[in-house]
Amino acid sequence: MLVIISMAWRNIWRNKARSFVIMFSVALGIFAGLMVMALYKGMMRDRIKALIYQETGHLQLHNPSFKNDYEVKFTIDNLANVNNLLTQNRHVKKFTLRSIAQGMLATTNGSAGLQINGIDPASENNCSELNKKIIIGQVFSNQKKYEIIIGQKLSKKMKISLGDKVVLTFTDHTDEIVSGAFRVVGIMQTSNSAWEERNVYVQRNELNELLGLPNGAHEIAVILNSNEELPVAMMDLKSKMKSVLLEDWKKLSPETELMVDTVDITSYIIMVIILIALAFGIINTMLMSILERTREIGMMMALGMNKLKLFVLVLMETTFLTLSGLPLGIIAAISLSNYIAENGFSFGANSEEMMRKYGFGTTIYTDFAYEKLAMTILFVVTTAFISCLYPAIRALKLNPMEALRK
Amino acid sequence: METIIDAHNISKIYNKESIPVYAINQVHLHIEKGEFTALVGPSGSGKTTLLNLIGGLDRADEGSISINGEEITQMSSGDLIDFRLKNIGFVFQSYNLIPVLTAKENVEFIMQLQGINEKDRIERVKLLFKQIGLEDKMDYRPSQLSGGQQQRVAVARALASRPQFVLADEPTANLDSASANNLLDIMWKLNQEEHITFIFSTHDQRVIDRAKRVITLVDGRIVSDTNQVPINH
Repeated sequence: MLVIISMAWRNIWRNKARSFVIMFSVALGIFAGLMVMALYKGMMRDRIKALIYQETGHLQLHNPSFKNDYEVKFTIDNLANVNNLLTQNRHVKKFTLRSIAQGMLATTNGSAGLQINGIDPASENNCSELNKKIIIGQVFSNQKKYEIIIGQKLSKKMKISLGDKVVLTFTDHTDEIVSGAFRVVGIMQTSNSAWEERNVYVQRNELNELLGLPNGAHEIAVILNSNEELPVAMMDLKSKMKSVLLEDWKKLSPETELMVDTVDITSYIIMVIILIALAFGIINTMLMSILERTREIGMMMALGMNKLKLFVLVLMETTFLTLSGLPLGIIAAISLSNYIAENGFSFGANSEEMMRKYGFGTTIYTDFAYEKLAMTILFVVTTAFISCLYPAIRALKLNPMEALRK
Repeated sequence: METIIDAHNISKIYNKESIPVYAINQVHLHIEKGEFTALVGPSGSGKTTLLNLIGGLDRADEGSISINGEEITQMSSGDLIDFRLKNIGFVFQSYNLIPVLTAKENVEFIMQLQGINEKDRIERVKLLFKQIGLEDKMDYRPSQLSGGQQQRVAVARALASRPQFVLADEPTANLDSASANNLLDIMWKLNQEEHITFIFSTHDQRVIDRAKRVITLVDGRIVSDTNQVPINH
């Protein structure tokens, strides 16, 4: 077998230019595939991070009836007890209470339906980094009543500027319509423009006052020590809090989980497409190589080289040809991925709107998918095997006597 | 004497469906161990076809061929490959050495296919290179050797597997006089000293002169089969 391996290795260097071209193609294909994976993984990691730390938290607590129709009367029962349990739970790092009302924002320019989030500024800043999202103005002044923070997307759409007054209309706990005039003190920008357009922040005590729910809260967003603790924390909290609905970020944002799964599959599909394209190049190269050596192969068969050994020879040649480009592709991908992971890759201002629409920032930080490296190598080896089949069959079908006449 | 090849009434027919052409026509052939036989005849007479049939590279349409008592005409192609590896040595007109292997590796290759251990291979390779007089060129690639030297390596390769006989198809056709004589000397010596059976197809008078037996083919039939005293030996 060693002589077959040795022959295969030497055979691929018989036409150096042709071998280098195919090796470079493999390297380029692997590089492109791994970079797509790294890019996707980085984007998804940042999207999940933004979702957890800027939108939902790791998990949320609601009254089980609240999310049916978002009726404000369904506040969290035994809030003090829930508050206490969360404070004592070892998995919980921080949490914040929110009052929520579905309502309408009206200005002289028009109106828009949205969710009004009543927040406690200090704990909200701590949990969802609201203060970091403010691009114009501030969180709340605490000097004046009825202040509101709106999203940049909404401000552009409704032509609302800092200091403008807007009217919020919603129903209170008795289903009576109430309104309040709020002055814009801050405009926020998040990585999710769609979310930004349909959410505004006011102070929780002021919203509660209008809702007629002095000490109530509809939602508690919880940040855990880490995402890995989520399943354990969910089980632990569920066993202690029977009267609340506990949902993790995957349940709260199923579109994000779907996106993560889809992107995972998509990155594999892209890799497979790249390898299929490469396979044709490899098949062509191997076929040329076999046709050029018809006489030599006929001679080996005449001397007594059996079909299995001939197949192994073609397989080894294809494998060497394919795998030789692999390390170069991997090294290049790891190097560039590490560079982009540190310095970021900006899609530029033109793509900002499009990226934010789907909840992504304009600067992407790659995350090399080391866990997919073994699978990628397996894909490449499989490609080599499949690519060798046709040339090998052509070689095996040769009649030694006829081949010797060529 | 021990019969190595016993071909009985063999024919090879082309264009069987339309106008049949007999490349070999009802040929009987017996080759004994230690023969130094030349198959001669004009182009298209069937020399190479007969060699291919005896060598198991082609199948006879009629008749039977036994090598050392083993019938090869009914063997599967896989069994034939194995049979060739163990029993027959080939020397081709165009040397046909594997260009990526050195001279030594080319000879060793056959033994590796046979699964012979490294120690025995090395010993055999050394002996064969001594016999062909190329001990100093064992590590040369075929492209670094002359035509004559390549053909001598091809002879060593043919003998590497200790075959029952060696089939040589026009072995001197591409060689100059000196190289051809040198090659014939080597083969003659191997025949004389080790009783290795050689069967040649040839046009070359030098080869014919050295043969102990000359079989003449015309239109696929044996028209003469004579024993002779080799010239110069």
